[in-house]
Amino acid sequence: MTALAEVVLRAVVVLAGTALATFALLWHAPGDPAAAIAVARFDSVVSEEVVAQIRAEAGLDAGFWPAFGHWITPILAGDLGNSSVSGRPIWPELRDAIALTVPLALAGLAIGVAVSVPLAIFATRRPGGWLDRGAVAVASLGAAMPAYWLGLLLILLFAVHLGWLPAMGARTPAHMILPALTLGLGVAASLTRILRSGLREARGQPFLPALARRGVPPGRIGRDHVAPHAAIPVVTVLGLELAFLLEGAVIVEVIFARPGLGSFLVQAITARDFPKIQAVVILTALLFVTVNLLIDLTYRLIDPRTRDRDA
Amino acid sequence: MRSVVILTVILGLLAVFGPALAPHDPNAIDIPNRLAPPGDPYPLGTDAMGRCVLSRLLHGASWSLGLAFLVSVIGLIAGSVIGLVAAMGGRLVDWVVMRATDSFLAFPDLVAAVVIAGVLGAGTGSLVFALTVTGWMRYARVARGIGLSLGSRGHVTQARLAGLSPAAIAQWHYLPALAPSLIVVWTGMFARAILGISALGFLGFGVQPPTPEWGTMLLDARVHMRSTPLLMIWPGLAIVVTVLAINLTGDALRDSLAPQERPA
Repeated sequence: MTALAEVVLRAVVVLAGTALATFALLWHAPGDPAAAIAVARFDSVVSEEVVAQIRAEAGLDAGFWPAFGHWITPILAGDLGNSSVSGRPIWPELRDAIALTVPLALAGLAIGVAVSVPLAIFATRRPGGWLDRGAVAVASLGAAMPAYWLGLLLILLFAVHLGWLPAMGARTPAHMILPALTLGLGVAASLTRILRSGLREARGQPFLPALARRGVPPGRIGRDHVAPHAAIPVVTVLGLELAFLLEGAVIVEVIFARPGLGSFLVQAITARDFPKIQAVVILTALLFVTVNLLIDLTYRLIDPRTRDRDA
Repeated sequence: MRSVVILTVILGLLAVFGPALAPHDPNAIDIPNRLAPPGDPYPLGTDAMGRCVLSRLLHGASWSLGLAFLVSVIGLIAGSVIGLVAAMGGRLVDWVVMRATDSFLAFPDLVAAVVIAGVLGAGTGSLVFALTVTGWMRYARVARGIGLSLGSRGHVTQARLAGLSPAAIAQWHYLPALAPSLIVVWTGMFARAILGISALGFLGFGVQPPTPEWGTMLLDARVHMRSTPLLMIWPGLAIVVTVLAINLTGDALRDSLAPQERPA
């Protein structure tokens, strides 16, 4: 099996596993799912016949595997189905939510990179110096700081105390500043830690003094030799950063009452709207598998050593 | 480093003896004294129902740390067994187990925990289940990685040829070699579990009120941010100090137990 085929096969297996695990979870959720749908749809207790009708409609009466097939078939064709509460198609609502989460995640990532890259570069110029220790302290504190508390502290300072920025909702671009800052500072903490250790390792490579002796200017050493070396761990953790951004977005959107993907998921769970939950889970898994696939390929591209090694 | 270890020991003692030190019943309601500032008889003031914040924090320590301990130890045992099965079971078993691990890793674990805990219905049981199901993979990866490298070593081959059962080989030859790395992973996962428990509590899918837990205390305090900002400072501070102390202890343990895992 070629390496590429193996990577793609893995992605497919992982996706199928996630779909199956999600369906099994909802299948075993407490209560009769058909009754839950009925109650959510009609907002009252309904007769046994209606519940039976819904059960047949959703393919729930034929056992686990037929029901799984009934659910997965339209998804494979690209149709995420309808909300079990409102009966409306899921995709338009989900698309609007994603449209609010993507800019937030990108802004958070941009802030994280803007803070961590210069911090890590200057910190590693003098290992053990005050800036280096400061970077370590910021990274350690950031790793221990939950997004929900940081968000609340920022609201307290900038919205309640100073009154500079709006805190709740998503009406204007200014509404994105505090959520993006909350997310970005968390990203900055973890990226600083990884970049710092990556750069330190890269700067400690034995071929660097040799290059300097040969008269290669420091700027070129940094660009052509230190940066590619330090980039490898960064690419590896991009997948982790994406997970961090998504987790952070769930929490941050709830704190700031921003109707994005995170709020969408939490509301779907609270309303026990199973098709919506499944749609979010499947899309998230697809996103992660795709990103990890790309990371795997990038990795092979920038680090020649991994090409012949069995991954 | 010594101060960090002392802090961690103090936090551990607080988790065990904290409830005994609490000056008040954490659930005793005192409406006339609601949202009181720090003073006498409530050292850190009271919340919206007039409950003693210090007492709730101290009881919350045993909830948060106790549940996080439970979650991380179950994950440690399950993950190590899964990792060793992958390492010792041959190529096919290894492939299947590692793809299952990838499936769980393919998803942000906190989001998965929110979905699982939310769907199963709020409560301590589903909280522990959700965080355990999403928290065993790192142990499995570490156990498998070290296990694979041990498989070809002489003493393990000899043990196998001598007719020792796989379980005995795992117990005598794999576990001692695995222990240092697994302990280091465990400290990280313990800290993550504390953050996960309070995050789920904050979202309303975790430990249910009136049980004093740091995340739910933050959720309650959020509404009174304008009038009583101190109320949301205490539980947040408790979480940050605890997680920071555990992470730093983990770093120290890594340096002394498993220096090969140290980032350069």
